[in-house]
Amino acid sequence: MAAITRSNKTNTNFSIASWLLLALTVLGIGLAIYRLVAGLGATTNLSDHYPWGIWITIDLFLIPVAGAAFTISLLSYFLGREDYHSIIRPAVLAGFIFYSIVGILLFLDIGRWTQFYNIFVPGFINLHSFLEEISLCVTLYTIILVLEVAPVFLEKWGYTGSIRWIERSIFIIAGAGIVLSMLHQSSLGSLFLLMTHKLHPLWWTPALPLLFYLQAVYTGLGATAIAVRLIWRALKLPVDRALFRRIGQAMSINLMLYAAIKVGDWMGAGEIPLLLKPDAFGFLAWFQFLIGIVLPLAILLSKLVGHSDGPFWAGVFALIGTFIERLVVSWVGLAEPSPISYIPSFTETFITIGMIAGGILAYSMIARYFKLFPSSRHS
Amino acid sequence: MTLSRRDFFKAVGLAIGGALVAAEPVLAMPEGTDPNEYAAMLYDATVCVGCNACTNACRQWNKTAPVQDDRGLYDAPKELSADTWTLIQLYQGENEYSFVKRQCMHCVDPACVSGCPVHALQKTSAGPVTYDKDRCIGCRYCMYACPFHVPRFEWDTAQSPVITKCTLCADRIQDGMGTACAEHCPTSALIWGKRGDLIAIAEKRIAENPTRYVDHIYGKDDAGGTSVMYLSGVPFEKLGFEELGTRPIPEISEGTANIILPGVLVGAPILLGMIRMTAKRGGWEDTWPL
Repeated sequence: MAAITRSNKTNTNFSIASWLLLALTVLGIGLAIYRLVAGLGATTNLSDHYPWGIWITIDLFLIPVAGAAFTISLLSYFLGREDYHSIIRPAVLAGFIFYSIVGILLFLDIGRWTQFYNIFVPGFINLHSFLEEISLCVTLYTIILVLEVAPVFLEKWGYTGSIRWIERSIFIIAGAGIVLSMLHQSSLGSLFLLMTHKLHPLWWTPALPLLFYLQAVYTGLGATAIAVRLIWRALKLPVDRALFRRIGQAMSINLMLYAAIKVGDWMGAGEIPLLLKPDAFGFLAWFQFLIGIVLPLAILLSKLVGHSDGPFWAGVFALIGTFIERLVVSWVGLAEPSPISYIPSFTETFITIGMIAGGILAYSMIARYFKLFPSSRHS
Repeated sequence: MTLSRRDFFKAVGLAIGGALVAAEPVLAMPEGTDPNEYAAMLYDATVCVGCNACTNACRQWNKTAPVQDDRGLYDAPKELSADTWTLIQLYQGENEYSFVKRQCMHCVDPACVSGCPVHALQKTSAGPVTYDKDRCIGCRYCMYACPFHVPRFEWDTAQSPVITKCTLCADRIQDGMGTACAEHCPTSALIWGKRGDLIAIAEKRIAENPTRYVDHIYGKDDAGGTSVMYLSGVPFEKLGFEELGTRPIPEISEGTANIILPGVLVGAPILLGMIRMTAKRGGWEDTWPL
């Protein structure tokens, strides 16, 4: 694994896919500026009945996917799992890019963006507000990710002194990143504790912070499994089955904990009848539980975990389940009793697509020109 | 070993520092205030004739734009909006009907205040829940947090839109006046005063006329108590009031914040340090892969 030589490094041609991503990114940036100038009402389909829309749902989904960065850091630095070392860089870079997308979307989402900095003004900060806590944690964590990802660039540009400084402090940096992640990943769930009477009871529970935290861990691991499988395939590398099995194990532990708490809450709160109701929410709850929890667990606990595609598919299904949960909690499950519905506008949709396209483009460029996998100096 | 122990102490130091900074408690309800002393309103739906003197008084005092319908006729709002902070609605059942007034309920322990990241919404010691646009970042969390679906947003304002809602005429209250809507009510269906006094009046009315009223003062205990309270002759759910229980809405959220913040800030670094010290494996920390 350590002796990877990059065969496509000399390929500097901009492919059609790259041009398409670039076009979508430019469109997204243009629409984002339009949104800031023209206001939310003119550019989005948000209303008093749906004050939050697709941007918040995407944020709530991207943050646990980007949990890959902190999960891998935790397993690697603090649990001493050496096999993960080879994927720290790709995971941390993905985390940084995802958090950047989240940051941009949040900035576009707030109505009074010209005074966004109020969330950092000490006299204004409300520490009982989970939104404030998330804002602070996500900002600090993005700075941590910059430090964690910096060696990729510093190494290329020859700043060995700075790299040594980061290497010496890595346990503090990574540790702070893990603590901040635990806080804001759980706080994303806590955000909805105030919606006791608004969020659909199959999803509202006082255990939301714990469920969101566990979900972030297994979703991050699932995203890692997907990413490394794709990278191995693209670089024509052999599948590292030992690493895959480890990811699968860590994932299944968290999936089981999540399932136990979820079922326990449904039973404890007497919500089983709601599961049997033939409505959209009953269906979504079953769909999320069977596709997002039971199916990945079935794959990971069977012999398929050793198959070269087993953890990949477990990751895909887990991510689908997580998306359903985040969609319900931030959007469809919060709907007010009103005939007005919400479908994201062209501007909302293409700003979202544009930012994600920009992220993919940035990642592929960095993967092409910088070293994301450990070099031979450690072999 | 020495390296990891030093790391461990550094982490613990950081954690305790962080927790000390974070530990200053901020309560949604102003400390040491008596909810019975709050400025409040009592709306008796059995007295209201739906004349809309209150909604017009609100417009005049707060200078909000009237809402026109498709024919250019106003004032025809169907629901609260950025320009409509209060509203009279009519419930028409089979054999019964009732008017009902809508506006911010000015909760004793408001969820919007608890959720607001920058204290733009505040519960003042006089009772009103007030809004400061110079703090607000426009995140709209208050709109979701509010169990009564009250805060509204200026969607059509391109630059620096604000959150709007009834202020309980905090400016008038401060000057010793009553709320504009209550002072203009010709039938005294809407009265203002101290919350405790209004509860006493409402209890007396129910006791004297038990057949006229549903035996419930909505807002006395609902959602932990509100400063705007209701008497009605028809069941409250028919007037659009949800069963919200008697616990303050922010209770679970704030209880969680009180546990999670210090818990993770102090507990997680200690845990990480312990893991790091016990789980270290032969020299792998020297092979930091980046």
